[in-house]
Amino acid sequence: MRPATAKWPKMVQKKTFDRPRRDSSPRCAIRKMSKEAPLSVAEREFILEALRENVRLDGRGADQFRSLNLSFGDEYGHVKLQLGKTSIVVRISSEVTKPRDDRPFDGLFNINLELSAMGSPAWENGRSNELEAYVTHVLDSVIRRSNALDTESLCILKGVSCWSIRADVHILDYDGNLTDAACIAIMTGLQHFRRPDAVVRDGQVIVYGVEERVPVALNITHKPLSITFNAFNEGHNIIVDATRKEEQSSEGELVIGINNGGDVCFLSKFSGAPVDAMEVVTRSNVALEKVKEINAQVERVMQADLAKRAKKGMAEESRAENDR
Amino acid sequence: MVGPTASLSILSRADGSASLKCPTTGYNVLGSVNAPIELPARRDALKPEEATVEVFVKPGNTTAGVGERYVEGILRSVLQKVILGRERGFPRRGVVITLAIIGGDAVERGDSYLNILPTLLQVSLLALLSAAVPMSMTFSTALLGVTKSGDIICNPSAAEAKAASSLHVLAFSSKGHLLLDESQGRFEFEQWESVRERAFSICRGMATPGADGDVTMGDGGDEARINGFICETVEDHLHRDYSWKIDSA
Repeated sequence: MRPATAKWPKMVQKKTFDRPRRDSSPRCAIRKMSKEAPLSVAEREFILEALRENVRLDGRGADQFRSLNLSFGDEYGHVKLQLGKTSIVVRISSEVTKPRDDRPFDGLFNINLELSAMGSPAWENGRSNELEAYVTHVLDSVIRRSNALDTESLCILKGVSCWSIRADVHILDYDGNLTDAACIAIMTGLQHFRRPDAVVRDGQVIVYGVEERVPVALNITHKPLSITFNAFNEGHNIIVDATRKEEQSSEGELVIGINNGGDVCFLSKFSGAPVDAMEVVTRSNVALEKVKEINAQVERVMQADLAKRAKKGMAEESRAENDR
Repeated sequence: MVGPTASLSILSRADGSASLKCPTTGYNVLGSVNAPIELPARRDALKPEEATVEVFVKPGNTTAGVGERYVEGILRSVLQKVILGRERGFPRRGVVITLAIIGGDAVERGDSYLNILPTLLQVSLLALLSAAVPMSMTFSTALLGVTKSGDIICNPSAAEAKAASSLHVLAFSSKGHLLLDESQGRFEFEQWESVRERAFSICRGMATPGADGDVTMGDGGDEARINGFICETVEDHLHRDYSWKIDSA
């Protein structure tokens, strides 16, 4: 009885191997495991047929992002991002810790992402799923390992104390393209964040409060963002910023991490149907254009916010009833 | 005094959601409720005739630790009593409440969690209302601190709470019964009694007769009546939801 059932999946696999089906992509398997409600056959066919005629469900062009809305909270480094219906809150925080023994000159920087039942009912609280591992990996590669935040500038005293910067990503609403949205939010947060000033005097580290000294901005070396492309219809249609439904009917995806200068710092084709090599080259040009566009928007929104803060701060300081 | 600000049903994926911002403590908490939902890992629940209530508190900029587990326990025990888990469609299912602290200072490891407990309770109630989960009653909560000189302060700020000799969190049901009493610090029983009276007047908006039979007037006037605040929030939301019907009538 046992061997017969064990053989059964093998036969199915063989069948799909001869004729590549969209369902065979491992990305689909991830969706099933986290129990996101699967698309019906009709819905999937509708999306694919529409894409064949170059129409997307929400009427966007193939290379068009959903509307991006960024706002800031009360404290520095508190970013609320809304990309279509995907909604994310990022909080950046800093504390003084001891550097790692093998890297005494480096500060610490960590990205913390946990999927909770808030973002989607399919995610279980306190239990990590494959989507979480995947998004964390991409964010780590694009932002952390490309050295977007200069960790050496976080060192206060060699081997004794350094700053530990922590980015917490809260996913409030999930409607596709988690990676790009989280990437934009974290990069905005890092640029917006101000850490307290710290100096070393006679071998003693003194951390000044926010009221005592003007807090310092982090040292950002470059601004990489990830752009995710989803492929449909044997690679004939490739789109950016897929919604959840589009992601579910996609046959494969291509992630490009690129900065304003056009340096590709991350490129991955994890799984799914193959994509033509030439496509990768042309798509990285599209990605560059998108990254420039998004970074310009982030810069604009952030400068407006910082100007508002500076004005408020001055008014607060120049009040007559303050202590002399 | 500026009262708290709340909004209901702000998330699209969760069944119900609410956010609440407390001006004195600075906390901004976002809560979501998914109910009733299948819990594949808890098929063999301890009480199969009832819904399992799960509470998850997600701190803003630290990893969840002992403090979060502790406060989750308090929240679960209160909410489990209030939610009608035997209603149709609820037994063997789960009510999953996720609370994310998206604004305000982090609760340091080892610090008191009582500061944020009323906000967390209030948000979970509003989120449950937004998700239309059947409940036997609503409740309102108050945070009170007793200073070293014996004065009672309502909604103490973080600094005031640290300096206070004792902190009290009380919750009253919509019928006026005491649902929850969490206290910490040194206090006398008479002090607790006056704290309870004050909390009752804050939550229910009614002046209670003092020991000498006198009714203190105007005490609850400037303090936002929490029970009324919850009613107003829900009423506003319903008004917006049914505006199509009201307009056509």
